[in-house]
Amino acid sequence: MPSDLRGLADIDRLIHEPARLALVAILSVVESADFLYLQRETGLTKGNLSSHLAKLEEAGYIAIEKTYRGRVPLTLVRLTDAGAAAYRAYRARFKKFLEKTG
Amino acid sequence: MVDIEKIEKRTVQSFYDDGLFEIALGFIFLVFGGYIFGQTIVPEGSPLNAVFSVLFVLVIVSSGFLVNRILRFLKRRITYPRTGYVAYKKRELSPKRRLAAGIVGGVIAALFTLLAIAPSVKALLPALNGLLGAFAVLLFANKVGLIRFYILSAASAVIGIAVTAAGVGDSKGISLYWGLFGAALIVSGLATLVAYLRKSPRADRENADAV
Repeated sequence: MPSDLRGLADIDRLIHEPARLALVAILSVVESADFLYLQRETGLTKGNLSSHLAKLEEAGYIAIEKTYRGRVPLTLVRLTDAGAAAYRAYRARFKKFLEKTG
Repeated sequence: MVDIEKIEKRTVQSFYDDGLFEIALGFIFLVFGGYIFGQTIVPEGSPLNAVFSVLFVLVIVSSGFLVNRILRFLKRRITYPRTGYVAYKKRELSPKRRLAAGIVGGVIAALFTLLAIAPSVKALLPALNGLLGAFAVLLFANKVGLIRFYILSAASAVIGIAVTAAGVGDSKGISLYWGLFGAALIVSGLATLVAYLRKSPRADRENADAV
């Protein structure tokens, strides 16, 4: 395999999926966000969002905290240290790949 | 392909979607303008004048504190039920940036002191306030990338120059500049808020939450 393509093959596929990449990119600049905010910003359906968040949580990239504000349920999502490191690595690898391939 | 940088920028911009930040900042500027105006009508050397000088820090700190509380309250009541809750990272300034900010602040303060004691250029102070305000808002607009902040930057320069051209005077001119620029921010914020409320109906929180 050419070295250019090998760089792409090393990319974290869990983050590379467009919806999850958007979620991780949003969470990288905030402390935490709730389910409604993430749904509005990504335009995903509830089911899709839940599914992508579950996959990211399973990988240890995000932490989901279920809480209440008054009597209203609130699902807070934040990027974990592992998630932030994975996102940084993804960005660096992808940038390198784009530079190599022009 | 997902444009990561655009998403990150959009996330930062979303804080300003509701216009509440401008309304709050405009309120601080109005208070500041009112404070300076108050100082101009109190006779120099009077005890009230001394009280005004002491009150300066208190006015700035308390209005900043109050506005922060009001902003949080309004975000809770207006924004979070509509477009969701988001907590932004608190950015700590690096020692280098702190030093740079201190130096810039010191230079501006020295410049103002020099201008304030030179009678021939005193009349230019409102214009100078306007231009400095315009520069600060321009830097902010560049960082955030929202067109209305570029317009507010231009408004700051225009207000400052217009007040100087009108010959209102230095202190009263400065207070008028801050008052008018504060009002401009509030008008911009209210227009943004109205558009935001039209565009973003209250979500049904019971069903909006999942996972």
